[in-house]
Amino acid sequence: MISIHNLHKAFGSNEVLKGISLEVTQGEVLCIIGPSGSGKSTILRCINGLESYDRGEIRVGDHLVHRDSKEIIWIRTHVSMVFQRFNLFPHRTVLENVIEGPVYVKKEDRMKATDRGRELLKQVGLANKADTFPAQLSGGQMQRVAIARALAMQPMAILFDEPTSALDPELVGEVLSVMRNLAKQGMTMLVVTHEIAFAKEVADRVIFLDGGVIVEEGPPREVLVNPKHARTREFLKRVMHVPTPNSLSST
Amino acid sequence: MASFWRDAVEFAPLLIKGAGVTVMITIASLILSTLLGLFWALLRTSHIKVLSKISTTFVNIIRGIPILVQLFYIYFVLPDLGIQLSAFQAGAIGLGIAYSAYMSEVFRAGIEAIDIGQVEAAQSVGMNRRLIMSRVVLPQAFRIALPPYGNNLIMLLKDSSQTSAITVAELSLESKLIAASSFKNMTVFTLGAIGYLVMSLPLIFIVARLEKRFRRA
Repeated sequence: MISIHNLHKAFGSNEVLKGISLEVTQGEVLCIIGPSGSGKSTILRCINGLESYDRGEIRVGDHLVHRDSKEIIWIRTHVSMVFQRFNLFPHRTVLENVIEGPVYVKKEDRMKATDRGRELLKQVGLANKADTFPAQLSGGQMQRVAIARALAMQPMAILFDEPTSALDPELVGEVLSVMRNLAKQGMTMLVVTHEIAFAKEVADRVIFLDGGVIVEEGPPREVLVNPKHARTREFLKRVMHVPTPNSLSST
Repeated sequence: MASFWRDAVEFAPLLIKGAGVTVMITIASLILSTLLGLFWALLRTSHIKVLSKISTTFVNIIRGIPILVQLFYIYFVLPDLGIQLSAFQAGAIGLGIAYSAYMSEVFRAGIEAIDIGQVEAAQSVGMNRRLIMSRVVLPQAFRIALPPYGNNLIMLLKDSSQTSAITVAELSLESKLIAASSFKNMTVFTLGAIGYLVMSLPLIFIVARLEKRFRRA
């Protein structure tokens, strides 16, 4: 469904992605892990055309992703994105946030969109917050609204860009549980995350990215439990907070 | 004091008429400066470098010439080029153009204050440039721009007195004319000043409230 071939991307002289190739199939949950600065988020941003890329090719279905082409609108209405910092529209209510895309981009009937919006809010456990403004919500609630907003587009796939990294620890669980349900329902998901336990439980496949290349990929029980590469092992040790002799100097 | 009141009653109709013209010219130039200022701001924040340059240049030229000179130019020079305007029209257009420069800065600051994440979220649901502006960026930018916009309005109200120099019969010109014919300078200009205060003080209070509300949000 989403296929990336030999993707290269540099910010100035800093080459962030050095030839990434990967496939996401329908209904798959793919988690991308790796140290910060490894280019994880950049991959997602390239898929959604928020970032241009220098070489290689990204396709969603038959559509070539290119930030400045007309097709990018098609891609964005079929592949939704959930951001680390939620990016809800502060001047609109929770429900308005959810139906903004369907009503103004897809030109759906407002009544129908509203009904589905309320349904989606119920699904993420926020039915009673429909008419409040984002500023009145907790981070976890905001991120759940953002997920409802993504779902409202009825996308083929959702890209999650570190969806729990900006949350207080006690709020992470409610967001992950919404994502877990989505995965169960068969949603195609591409998740950049530091939540190793979540990846272990929910992912069909895990990719470990470091220095702009895919170091290791496979089912979670291989990559996360029995990693082949030393770099993967090092990283996992660090994020699982297992102290290593050089853990201070290596960060 | 008794004579003050007698004179006040006598001069009131003319002064109120002048105040009416002040209000009219303020409203007309407010509308023009708002639309034109928004236009400059959109050009300025556009991704196309040439447009942004054009806007910057125009705004700098307008800001660099005194309002009075702009008014003279429109009222006295344009007729030589075959464009005949009434004093009121010239005043409204001149003030509108002069203030469009200040308005554009206010709008630009509002637009640039919007978090890039807002634009990305709008893009990610498939909005095009026009929708992103009209649904996401501008509604938020207007809110941010409202207090400084109100301040510009107060300045505009007072600067409308400059159109007296091109014979617009607004409050300050009416005051001057009455004073010149009646020699009651103290009475007339006091009334004139009060007239401006009656119009500007409510605006000042409203803007102060807006600023307070904005700071809390």
